[in-house]
Amino acid sequence: MNDAARDAAATAPAERSARLAALLARVALADQGAFAELYRLTAPHLYGVALRILRNASAAEDILQEAWVSIWHHAGGYDAAKSQALTWLTSIVRNRSLDRLRRREIDVVEPTGDDDAPDIDFPADEPSPVDLLLAGADARSLRDCVDVLEPGPKQAIALAFFHGLSHGELARHLDEPLGTVKSWVRRGLEKLKRCLDGAGVTR
Amino acid sequence: MNLSRPDRRERLASLAAEYALGTSPPRVRRRLAGIARRDPVVAAALAEWERRIAVLGEGAPGVTPPPRVWRSITARLGLVTAEAPRIAWWDRLGLWRGLAAASFVVAMALGVMQLARLPAPAAPPLVVVLAGSDARPAIIATAARGERYLTMKTVVDTAPPRGKAFELWALPTAGAPRSLGVIPVGAVVEVPLQAPAGESLANIPALAVSLEPAGGSPTGAPTGPVLYSGKVERMY
Repeated sequence: MNDAARDAAATAPAERSARLAALLARVALADQGAFAELYRLTAPHLYGVALRILRNASAAEDILQEAWVSIWHHAGGYDAAKSQALTWLTSIVRNRSLDRLRRREIDVVEPTGDDDAPDIDFPADEPSPVDLLLAGADARSLRDCVDVLEPGPKQAIALAFFHGLSHGELARHLDEPLGTVKSWVRRGLEKLKRCLDGAGVTR
Repeated sequence: MNLSRPDRRERLASLAAEYALGTSPPRVRRRLAGIARRDPVVAAALAEWERRIAVLGEGAPGVTPPPRVWRSITARLGLVTAEAPRIAWWDRLGLWRGLAAASFVVAMALGVMQLARLPAPAAPPLVVVLAGSDARPAIIATAARGERYLTMKTVVDTAPPRGKAFELWALPTAGAPRSLGVIPVGAVVEVPLQAPAGESLANIPALAVSLEPAGGSPTGAPTGPVLYSGKVERMY
């Protein structure tokens, strides 16, 4: 990619980000029009995040509702200097979805024998988690950062990130020992950190 | 455990990474979230990893939530907004369709005015029936051509919530809405015009009412939802 194309790819997200931040600032002032507009622009992304983690439309709708009620009340806590608006919104939805998922897992009595645990079904019409990871990286010209990951760690991180799989579920789903999976995730995250920070993502 | 101590920085970084990814065990998740609420160093570590990893999630396809989700959110918050606007409302084709649909109620509304014994001129030359999205008339505005005010009569029980105001807008054929000012609260009120109504509303096919902060829109353009709109009917 040449410099001009790289600039163009980098500007579009920056503009969108500034727009979302401005809307969030207006939501903090109880501007209902801005709230509706922010919802229109970001709810599909956020609903997708919740759906992939919870794999249940009605649970994902609940989370979305709770999250947006909270966004209306706490928009004043958003600090544009500290994070991008979409990141802030996504964290709210992801964290609530993960909390709900883990609570559900605790409520269900888990079988003790790992071999009996049912495998997890993902929607067949959606790209694989690794493809989703690559698509996100490509959108920001960060393909190299995902490519540094070995296939095992890459898959483990993609499954955990998009579908909220725990270490135990990753081990079952990937048919690997728990220790291996844990170390894949840990080392994979370290590699990602080095590469993403080198690319200036956290700035 | 004090995670913000410098010698525990590495431990904190690895906990934050797993938290952001979502692989922390539930007990660790809850504790970290709790600590982050009062310890800015821990909060910053979590936010840093969330920022880092969020980038990788932006390529995943979105899914449009069913409309009931937005309805529930606004209902729970007690907001007036009925729907997430698609585009700037004054550019919206639907609004004009709505206006056309609403105009048939003019005759009926004139009847309402008679019943309400409006202090209307003998032959009201200019009438605007402002209706909500349900096409039911809510406010009727009338003026004689030479009058420098619009008489606004509320025909349904509608009033702005505390700290808010109804603002009246003239919608020109082209361009952004022009404010006609905040509508005073009351059953029958007057909104002053800068020129005689015939002149003031000469190129104005429609009026609208939006919900704004007390005192009116801070930006000069509508910021809140449009509650009512109506076509200007010229009886002359």
